[in-house]
Amino acid sequence: MTKIGVFLCNCFGEIGGVIDLESIRKRLESDPAVDFVTVRESLCMPGDAAEAHARIRERGIGRVLLGACSPYGRMEMVRLALVKEGVDVRTVRAADLREGCAWVHGKDPAGATRKAANQLDMEIALLQNMRGSKDVAVGIQQEALVIGAGPAGLSAACGLARLGFQAHLVDRGTAPGGMLNMITRVYPTDVAGPEKLAALVEESRGNPRIRFYGKTKVASVKGYAGDFKVSLAGPEGSTSLRVGAVVLATGARILFPQGLYGYGKLKGVITQMEMERQFASGKPACRSAVFIQCVGARNAERPYCSTICCPLSLKNAMRIVDEVPGAKAAVLHRDIMTPGSVLEAYYRKALHKGVQFIRFDADRPPEVRGDGQVSGVEVFDAISGKTRTIETDLLVLSTPLVADPESAALARMLEIPVDGHGFIAEVYPVHPVETRNDGVFICGTARWPVSSDQAIAQGEAAAVKAASFLGRQTVSALAMGRVPGAKLGHAEADAGACTGCGNCVAVCPYRACRLQRTGNRSVSRVIKVRCKACGSCVSVCPNGAMQIPEQNYRVTGEMIRRAFREVR
Amino acid sequence: MPTAASNVNILVFACRWCGLIGADAAGRRRMELPASFRVIPVECAGYVEPDAVIRAFASGATGVAVLGCHVGGCRFNDANHPALKRLELLRTLLDATGIGGDRLLLGFGTAHEYHQWADTIRAFHEHVAGLPSMKSWLPAAVATGER
Repeated sequence: MTKIGVFLCNCFGEIGGVIDLESIRKRLESDPAVDFVTVRESLCMPGDAAEAHARIRERGIGRVLLGACSPYGRMEMVRLALVKEGVDVRTVRAADLREGCAWVHGKDPAGATRKAANQLDMEIALLQNMRGSKDVAVGIQQEALVIGAGPAGLSAACGLARLGFQAHLVDRGTAPGGMLNMITRVYPTDVAGPEKLAALVEESRGNPRIRFYGKTKVASVKGYAGDFKVSLAGPEGSTSLRVGAVVLATGARILFPQGLYGYGKLKGVITQMEMERQFASGKPACRSAVFIQCVGARNAERPYCSTICCPLSLKNAMRIVDEVPGAKAAVLHRDIMTPGSVLEAYYRKALHKGVQFIRFDADRPPEVRGDGQVSGVEVFDAISGKTRTIETDLLVLSTPLVADPESAALARMLEIPVDGHGFIAEVYPVHPVETRNDGVFICGTARWPVSSDQAIAQGEAAAVKAASFLGRQTVSALAMGRVPGAKLGHAEADAGACTGCGNCVAVCPYRACRLQRTGNRSVSRVIKVRCKACGSCVSVCPNGAMQIPEQNYRVTGEMIRRAFREVR
Repeated sequence: MPTAASNVNILVFACRWCGLIGADAAGRRRMELPASFRVIPVECAGYVEPDAVIRAFASGATGVAVLGCHVGGCRFNDANHPALKRLELLRTLLDATGIGGDRLLLGFGTAHEYHQWADTIRAFHEHVAGLPSMKSWLPAAVATGER
């Protein structure tokens, strides 16, 4: 067993002013595991690392303990400086004597000294007992699967192709475009849906790096980041692919307002999608139109704002005013949600065109009048406090986007979670297009209701994220932490001790543990690429078969034993 | 080396992504805390096995605190949620054995909640200080440190 060299930092009196470093030095020197103890004025000043390294080399020791500031302060800098000098980063540990000790126990020097001694002792136990995780390297397949060829998926596939990767674009429809294919005018630029995507469709066609699979579904996905085995079910039978990354762009559905505001009972009560169809087949046959916002949204069941319905109603109201001679349009809303300069200008444009806006309270929704055919709406105007009656022969209901059940099935297959509304959950809050399963990315309305512009932007973002992963060619399992270099290690299963109970499989938040049949019994196996070393499997294993070598049971046991050594 | 006089020995398992950062922030603000606690950094509260808590009591700790991220805000997706359930279950066992479930503290906070960290440590110190000594019923060999 190689001995440990200890460097204690006085931090120009910040530590030594409270903690009795001399008594700690004497105590540590009597520990047989310790080779030398050096008390220094500082460890982070220029030249300190070189001097420390010279001492380490001179004594020929393999493990280093630093007693200095917190790992979130300059300690990491000191460790990195030592690594730069040629010391193996895994053999350097630090005990927090400043933020965790001197600075919070300034009025109790004796207690602080006791605590410092204990914490150093515990770190020595760790250095003595820790082992290193065996790393594995995984070759990354240089291809990606993009599921869904709407604006988000199309832009993701084009982005990947532009960055030099083969993209397999899968859609259940016959042609790319998704929901935009049905829309004759898209806010806020007022171009037709297919026209908006024309450039991307053109780019994808005849691009050797993009292969489009129409009328195709994803039958199964197996494997892990870098090497997913995909089976597609299409009109020409099944296709097998091996891809390094998966981009989910499966989109959403629109809520069907059955039973709300006379939908299905009264003629002339339609959804926004039916409005689009009327525009597609010519001018709508109406003398005026009333739009009701937040139908089935921002309520107890769906407390979210679907974001697209307000601009959508603005667009269609303006269209009625423009295209139907003499027609009036009114929007009954709870709040008009038009964030940003572009949409706000769009709202002002609608006001200038004479679209009427009436605000209603959620607990006093508008009432629909009519017999067989809608004849008008009675609404309590929340601002003027008066009840108004508006005559109309067309009532358009703005319903929110809701999660597509097919996306939920795919999410189950890809082992990624969905949120409370069935939308696919991103890694909140700092990884907006990534999911719990490394190598699986999300964009567009499968993730959350967004406009087509935002969906295209998210597709690009997912493509760049996927490309930066694929571009590594091979990846080491230890480098698969979300923060570079921050992964502790990974869990290792002892096949001899494992009884195959499956506790680890149930608890693993990354689905990294699998039961594997060997002979006549099952044993747990850890997919190292997926493991993030949280240690959940360690704490539920009844046999101690699961261990993280860096913080194995010997380490923790010995640290616990030493925490209050002198009081026992 | 001075010896401990107090009957308060708190072992804190603090997760490296929330609890420990809170401790660091409390340190930077020099918030005065009782020097009765020792910290074992862990990746996640989910790593803390019930066995470790019991071992801590057997090794001289009179209180154990497990401090992780907020439930729903765990860095490892939802790993601290089953940990919470597991340790709540352990609490009933501690009650049954006579150690007392109130000697185990489960705390959840985010990285920037240094006030919460300080308040948690202070309040738990006060609480454990008010409990009767554990020495009386420790096995003799453990109590005298001959293990």
